[in-house]
Amino acid sequence: MELRQQDVSEPENALLARVARGDREAFEQLYRATSARLLGVCLRLVPDRGTAEDVLQDVYVAAWRKAPQFDPVRASAAVWLAAIARHRAIDRLRADAGQRELAPIELAEAQPDPAPAPAHQAEADSERARLDDCVGQLEPKRRSLIRTAFFDGATYEELAARSGSPLGSVKSWIRRGLLQLRACLEA
Amino acid sequence: MSTHANNNDSAAPPPGDEVQAAEYVLGVLDEVSRRRVSLRLASDAGFARLVEGWERHFSPWLLRAPATEPSAHVWEQICERLGWREEPRPAPRLWDNAPFWRRAAGIALVAGIVATVFSISRTPPTAPPEEFAAGPVTVLARGDGTTGWIARINPSRGEVLLMPVPGTVDAAGRVNELWIIPAGGKPHSLGLLSHELAHTITVPSELRASLVAGATLAVTLEDRAGIPHAAPSSEPVAIGNIRTI
Repeated sequence: MELRQQDVSEPENALLARVARGDREAFEQLYRATSARLLGVCLRLVPDRGTAEDVLQDVYVAAWRKAPQFDPVRASAAVWLAAIARHRAIDRLRADAGQRELAPIELAEAQPDPAPAPAHQAEADSERARLDDCVGQLEPKRRSLIRTAFFDGATYEELAARSGSPLGSVKSWIRRGLLQLRACLEA
Repeated sequence: MSTHANNNDSAAPPPGDEVQAAEYVLGVLDEVSRRRVSLRLASDAGFARLVEGWERHFSPWLLRAPATEPSAHVWEQICERLGWREEPRPAPRLWDNAPFWRRAAGIALVAGIVATVFSISRTPPTAPPEEFAAGPVTVLARGDGTTGWIARINPSRGEVLLMPVPGTVDAAGRVNELWIIPAGGKPHSLGLLSHELAHTITVPSELRASLVAGATLAVTLEDRAGIPHAAPSSEPVAIGNIRTI
């Protein structure tokens, strides 16, 4: 069978394509190349190191099994893997719900962005500027809720409790913010 | 702006697909809603595209986390969970193991009783095609004695209809593989087996002679890749002896 065109500037895409064909050596290389970054993704949501490493195991077991579904035309390996890590970490958060400390959110206050990781900076720079620019255009309440939701993996219910706002209002602010964000990003 | 946002959440219209996809990626859904959306994701390609779009939109934030080297044991545990060992596993030996077969025979005996109970208390999840409507069945019982699948064999067509009793999905993502084991022989794969839908498996012509009373049908959890496998890699999750066809 003919292979899809692979981007040579993205060795992770090539490795993942080999993993999809059952290549264990490629899988080990992919692990060496990406596991520190993906543990970072897990740790931001699940701060306990042991738990985050458990989640990381799930991530690579899932990546091995789902690799045949990876389509390099629609996503990069880096984003595909990081999304698996993020969703597994959120699943763990939900399963352990109730054990989290809920820090209050001050809705009006602008929140500093976490520092960028040095890797992938060049690749992500323009996209990142665009996302930050579009988020910056949202009204402060929507902006701060969407940021907190993403970086803390907080549910609507948690956001309502933490901001002292009614659940219905929080949902409405976030949904409108998301649609506004899409309009800006796809403009 | 949001003057009519109110306390009564149920008054708001249900969110459209675009918003649902965004909510999933943003991570604001509770456990139940999340599970519902991830099930839809697996079966609805159009919806999956929407989710991919949002993953892309948020990817600059996603890739922003500071890297942290994992402990050395993580890789070893991943290999273990994928069933990779230093030495090749002597998988087929299990099937020659006498205590295992005594246990399997015991389970199959229980299965006969369980089959009767099930025929009264439970209808099969899907109505079988007409040619399978009447005739003896083989019950594939799980280790705890509950029914995993009911098999109905059509020897003239070389087909086996399998009806699952819906159960849990393997947490590690493995799939069910069906095996036929001639009396005293080794298992041969009959391929992928659904855990939720009734379907017919056509037995390859070279294995049809095995499809007789005295043979055994067994199910193991296996990697989807490589099916049909040459040999099972684990103990069966369900097993049944064919008594009558």
